[in-house]
Amino acid sequence: MKSKILAMITALGLTLTVGSVFAAGELHVYNWGNYTNPEMIEKFEKMHGVKVTIDGYDSNETMLAKVEQGGSGYDIVVPGDYMIAIMLKKELLERVEPNKMSNFKNVDPKWVDVYWDEGRNYTIPYQWGTTNFTVDSTVYKGDVNTLALLFDPPDELKGRINMLKDMNDVINAGLRYLDYPRCNSNKAQLKELNEMLVKAKANWRTMDYSVIEKLTSKDVDLSQSWNGAAKRARKDRPELVYSYPKEGFTGWMDNVAVLKGAPNLENAKLFMNFMMTPEAAALTSNFANYANGITGSEAMMNADLVSAPEIVMPAGAPAPEFVPPCAQEVTDLYSKIWTNLNK
Amino acid sequence: MVDSTAAPAKKMGKAIDLKYQPGFSQIAWLCIAVLYAPIAVLVLFSFNQNRSVTVWTEFSFDWYVKAMNNEGIRHAAWVSLEVAFIAMVIATIMATMAALVTTRTAPYRGMNMAVGVINQPLMVPEVVTAVATLIFFAIIKQLTGVSGIGYLIAAHTAFCIPFAYMPIRARLEDMDLSLEQAAADLYAPPFKVFRRVTLPLMLPGIMAGAMLAFIVSLDDVIITLFVAGPGETTLPLYILGQIRRGVTPEVNAVSTVFLGLSVILVTFIFLFGKGKK
Repeated sequence: MKSKILAMITALGLTLTVGSVFAAGELHVYNWGNYTNPEMIEKFEKMHGVKVTIDGYDSNETMLAKVEQGGSGYDIVVPGDYMIAIMLKKELLERVEPNKMSNFKNVDPKWVDVYWDEGRNYTIPYQWGTTNFTVDSTVYKGDVNTLALLFDPPDELKGRINMLKDMNDVINAGLRYLDYPRCNSNKAQLKELNEMLVKAKANWRTMDYSVIEKLTSKDVDLSQSWNGAAKRARKDRPELVYSYPKEGFTGWMDNVAVLKGAPNLENAKLFMNFMMTPEAAALTSNFANYANGITGSEAMMNADLVSAPEIVMPAGAPAPEFVPPCAQEVTDLYSKIWTNLNK
Repeated sequence: MVDSTAAPAKKMGKAIDLKYQPGFSQIAWLCIAVLYAPIAVLVLFSFNQNRSVTVWTEFSFDWYVKAMNNEGIRHAAWVSLEVAFIAMVIATIMATMAALVTTRTAPYRGMNMAVGVINQPLMVPEVVTAVATLIFFAIIKQLTGVSGIGYLIAAHTAFCIPFAYMPIRARLEDMDLSLEQAAADLYAPPFKVFRRVTLPLMLPGIMAGAMLAFIVSLDDVIITLFVAGPGETTLPLYILGQIRRGVTPEVNAVSTVFLGLSVILVTFIFLFGKGKK
């Protein structure tokens, strides 16, 4: 018995150290689940002889909780725009200066001076998209480019609407519909917003993330949606039309960043430079179904992606708005509205 | 044990046998439906031809093939089994020793406290344990520079112990001391008593405990989410990561395989337990 336990402890000790013995040629990527193209990773592994591990998270907040303590072992993370702002404030990201790397010339200039990383000293674009809604055009035949369909729907859409279960996406859409500014702490305006949302909710069927399932099962005829999900839903339900509301809409971008104290810093830099090649960006887009912000990648992207109205914005659409993280006071007010709405 | 509980049960049987109360079978079937209908749907849609988990088109094995070829799923399944197996073995050994020392000795000071400490992971909210473990391990990692899957196994072992402990202890409490006393009376040394009398008698409890530990480790999400390091995504974590981008029937296929596995395991344990009696 004693020798068995001893053997077990030794075995455990061995497993503990294995990780650090082969650390020379490794790279540990922590990205959203089902968001990294294995082909792209294979290409990088072959190119630089580096062994890559990929793990997935389900939200920016989960990722933050895990890496905040340090020692997570990850090199690369892919946070959303507002999360980059938060992580920079907390000094969690390494200043790797991608703007001085050889492939930086491929980054579309419009994605260089962004609010979350002015001049790109820390991060590069991974994927970006918009948060709007998609409607069945055989059920509703009118103009889809207005938020009125969410908040004051015509009779044929009443009770046939799914909203994202996301505080910021719902509240920001509501603020745009009322033509009030984002990150709003004006009590009178928020009171009006609250009343408007409660009234609108009577016409909503569900508030849920599973947009594709809701739409393809014909549970609803309209759903608030990320553009990539809208495109995937259209594959099974061709009548769906993606809206670009005239009142404006949210844009988002996930970005490749290197964690402070990354165990494989040099490999992480190699990876970042690699991710700015049109080939890598195109592989990512083909897998994840979003646009990438790297010029020259379109030529290698799937044809259905380049022509998709969900991915390529029509000329007349307003520019997507990237909403920075709001002050705590505003978030608290929003939380109250959100809790009330979910009652 | 048989005598003490069987007699009152018989007496009560005449007065109120639950099985013959009005509505018994209806309620029982309702409960069974609520518990198993979702699983039946999950299994059904793993054979669906299109990518939807809600709209049926036609029967196919496509998603099983896809799941088999998916490196991420294969790796996650392997990590899950590896962690669950090692945690099960260590937790069961520790739980067996703990159960012996809390039932087979004369009561001693601090025994109740020891039981409390062993069962602590059941009382503390899981997320608290998870965050505490995350911070604790982060400190150790930074101090020693040692990383690897050992941390995850250690965390799983810790919360598996009470699950393994409970059935083993229950079994030991049901076992009459007189057999062991008789063996000792016939000059069997303590270790021989343990090996020839106690251990065979408590084996069903150990098997039950080990299986419980294995299952609990296999489907843990919260602690794993916080503790798992690079390349240590378990199957539940893999599935969780899919939610934002849409779950595909690949997940149904893997879940069905794991379901089949646990059914086989339960059947095996059931037959094993029967044979012993």
